[in-house]
Amino acid sequence: MKRFPRLSTALGGLVALSLALAACAPAATPTAAPQPTQATAATQAPAPTALPQPTAAPQPAFSGTAKITFTQEPDNLNPYYSSMFFSQITTQFWLKGLWSFDDAGNTVPELAAEIPSAANGGVSADGKTVTVKLNPAATWSDGTPVTADDLVFTYDMIMSDQNVVQSRYPYEDYVAGVEARDAQTAVVTFSEPFAAWQTTLFKWVLPKHILQPVFDQEGTIDQAEWNRAPTVGVGPFTFQEWESGSHLSFRANANWIRPPKLEQIFIQIVPDDAAQEAAIIAGDTDIGVFLSSDQIEKLEAGGAVKVVAVPSGYNEAWFLNVNPETAHPAMLDVNVRKAIALATDRFTIVKDLLVESINPVNVNFWDANPPFGNESLEPYPYDPEQAKQLLDAAGWTDSDGDGVRDKNIDGQKVDLKLRYITNERELRKNVQAVVQQQWQLVGIAADLQNYSSDVYWNGYNDGGPQAQGLYDIAEYSSTPNSFPDPDSSDNWLCSTIASADNPDGLNWQGYCNPQMDELLRRQAVTLDAAERIQIYQDIQQLMYDEVIYIGLWNDPDLWSINNRLKNVRLSGASQFWNAHEWEVTP
Amino acid sequence: MTTYLLRRLAQAVPQLFIISVILFALMQGFGDPVATLGARTPPRQEDKERLRRMLGLDQPVHIQYLVWLVGNDWLKLDMDGDGVGETPGQRRGILRGDFGNSLVTRRPVLEMIADRLPNTLLLMLTAEAAIIVLSLSIGIYSALRQYSLIDNLITAASFVGYSMPVFWLALTLMYIFAVNFRRWGLPYLPTVGMFDPAVGRTPAELIRHMILPVATLTIISTAGYSRFVRSSMLEVLNQDYIRTARAKGLSRSRAIWGHAVQNAALPFITIIGLDLPFLLAGAVVTERIFAWPGMGRLFIDHTQRSDYPVLMGILMLIAAAVVVFQIITDVVYSFLDPRIRLD
Repeated sequence: MKRFPRLSTALGGLVALSLALAACAPAATPTAAPQPTQATAATQAPAPTALPQPTAAPQPAFSGTAKITFTQEPDNLNPYYSSMFFSQITTQFWLKGLWSFDDAGNTVPELAAEIPSAANGGVSADGKTVTVKLNPAATWSDGTPVTADDLVFTYDMIMSDQNVVQSRYPYEDYVAGVEARDAQTAVVTFSEPFAAWQTTLFKWVLPKHILQPVFDQEGTIDQAEWNRAPTVGVGPFTFQEWESGSHLSFRANANWIRPPKLEQIFIQIVPDDAAQEAAIIAGDTDIGVFLSSDQIEKLEAGGAVKVVAVPSGYNEAWFLNVNPETAHPAMLDVNVRKAIALATDRFTIVKDLLVESINPVNVNFWDANPPFGNESLEPYPYDPEQAKQLLDAAGWTDSDGDGVRDKNIDGQKVDLKLRYITNERELRKNVQAVVQQQWQLVGIAADLQNYSSDVYWNGYNDGGPQAQGLYDIAEYSSTPNSFPDPDSSDNWLCSTIASADNPDGLNWQGYCNPQMDELLRRQAVTLDAAERIQIYQDIQQLMYDEVIYIGLWNDPDLWSINNRLKNVRLSGASQFWNAHEWEVTP
Repeated sequence: MTTYLLRRLAQAVPQLFIISVILFALMQGFGDPVATLGARTPPRQEDKERLRRMLGLDQPVHIQYLVWLVGNDWLKLDMDGDGVGETPGQRRGILRGDFGNSLVTRRPVLEMIADRLPNTLLLMLTAEAAIIVLSLSIGIYSALRQYSLIDNLITAASFVGYSMPVFWLALTLMYIFAVNFRRWGLPYLPTVGMFDPAVGRTPAELIRHMILPVATLTIISTAGYSRFVRSSMLEVLNQDYIRTARAKGLSRSRAIWGHAVQNAALPFITIIGLDLPFLLAGAVVTERIFAWPGMGRLFIDHTQRSDYPVLMGILMLIAAAVVVFQIITDVVYSFLDPRIRLD
């Protein structure tokens, strides 16, 4: 009796406290978001006093917001500090590079006045010098002109030992130096001719006037406020705010050479695929990405959404382990590898589990990088009879009648049971199950294994199943190093085979062929386009004949676009390259 | 009481130290932070080697722990890769209030946690308040009307609620109230996020966006907790002192509200007290589905990237909160139940 008020006070107090805290929190949340004005002050941008103010030109009217969902949050907005797809694609809004690639794969000058070529003197005869002329009209969003010094600064920052950038490619490997000839002209010198410069060089330029003071003061730009709140950029939109885990927004930038029509870009982070699907159907988002083929019908059902396939170099494929140290002995015989291809009905898999028109059976690793794919090659047909003959001829027969072929190797009976590994994606598990049944018909057993994605991609020292060669066939979707112009030399070189002595090596298939080494080396330094395409044709012919790569299907990125948003032309290399043309219907 | 508190706090120090050692050891099993860097294909060999060196990941585990604990401003780091340290370290270590920097975002861990904590508290405390009020009312109501039609219905509903997977409930609610209601022209709720950019960040928008996630959390937890309240209430109602109270002429309602409820609520308080620190951790599944930017998602996102400084930061924060709330619960308990003496 006496104690009852205490209990009720305690409970009531707890509830009241919860409610009070809950009520306080919304007011506190907005202050947690970086305020553009504060951020500008923090980065100490010098005011562009002596520069022509954009007020002279009539202010274009901006209207409407495009809403986009990302399934992962960018880890950093400075693209040199992030390898994430979602971080890099935002740069098309606010941090343009020298040029972009449109939806047809053509180059579009952005900061550069023109694309350097041998004809305009931009590329030297020996291919070791590229001269970039900047567009004098290109200015940072605060009005400061973009100069050759910004390019030199960007190069210095990437190569500085004080900055922990994600990648120094291609600067570390190919670039000998970058210098400013005058305010608008930068000269890039290569240590050896470098063919893929167009898709890799200065994809982004850093603002020297903002970041140099930070570097001077802190000794590094790792912690620069600009990396998180880049209030000064160069593109049709400017950074507005980024609230961790929630959203990023960008607003129209009238200072850009191609002013946008939209007022705002709003990117919502929606990590769950099913929730993203609901948001697309409900019309809560205008653009969504990383959709799968089986979602198309559902998303387009309402008539308000269109799903478009944008190739960005990716193909779903089997990577075959041919490392004598780790692979099943049968994998070392090219005829067995060919039999595996012939015993797999990829045409039915694509028809049943995917959308044939979007995901045709893939042949080559470079098929999504036109014009480099070898179109003269046809996918290995589905021919179980020939597969059986090849296996018989290779000495793999079912001697004990258990339905699985075997062979006597050094006095020991070895079953033809192959380790087929991939990650835990549902579609891949379904493919594994179908393939297991198909192989059974020719007497190949499949040991299906699935790893979570982080384990699957672990390196040699962390027990990564691919890196350590704990497999015979690994399935995943992959792409050449750069797109649309490929530069893949890492994955099939003898020198990059992963091992205890070379744990970071990326040749996880253990493939070593001096002929392949030579072809891969030559493609990197061959500047003549036709000759380089021919080298790639030869590389693909070799991979096809040696059967170290079995393509499953072409794997373009699937994007949803709400009809409300007009003029969206997504490209595989510079996804949002024409964001300045986007419009919304009210 | 003061002695008791001081003793408990003194015990907490070695407790947290041991927890930190165990957690740090477990972190080593999370994989390689530079394995993918969040990209769709693994990074180049040269970049992996350089990043591992620059981020100090090539150091032995005990050195990495020491750096995490006391910092590295007494060390010279080898940033240029010549095998000789030349750059002075900047870290001060968790003992000096520096939780380190994320390997993924390069930002201070404390800053990242501070970004998410208000969102998580807003969601979780609102849900917790709803859970407490609803489970007490439903639990007490069904105990008082044991085996009535309503009690049986509540029992059935609780079992359904308790056994429903969170993700399924969340997506079902989303499809009904956000997708289909909109299609049918009814008043509808938003699918994801905290506000609609076209309207702006207003309290009304926030409440609209909170309804579904709060409902999800509340339905799941209330189902279990109301059963707990019901059974402890039933147990008390059958005690002799309630019968005595009634026999000496106390009205039914005074016997129930004066004697039964408060005794039945004591174990519930223990449960809530132990629950509160975990509110800081957020709700992983609910936050993920409704795109709520809270701590649960921070933890999961950075687990996938093996970002051990962030994981250590969050886990140590929760560990400290558990220790503190255990002490608070014990103190509150002694205050509510005079049979318990702390000294």
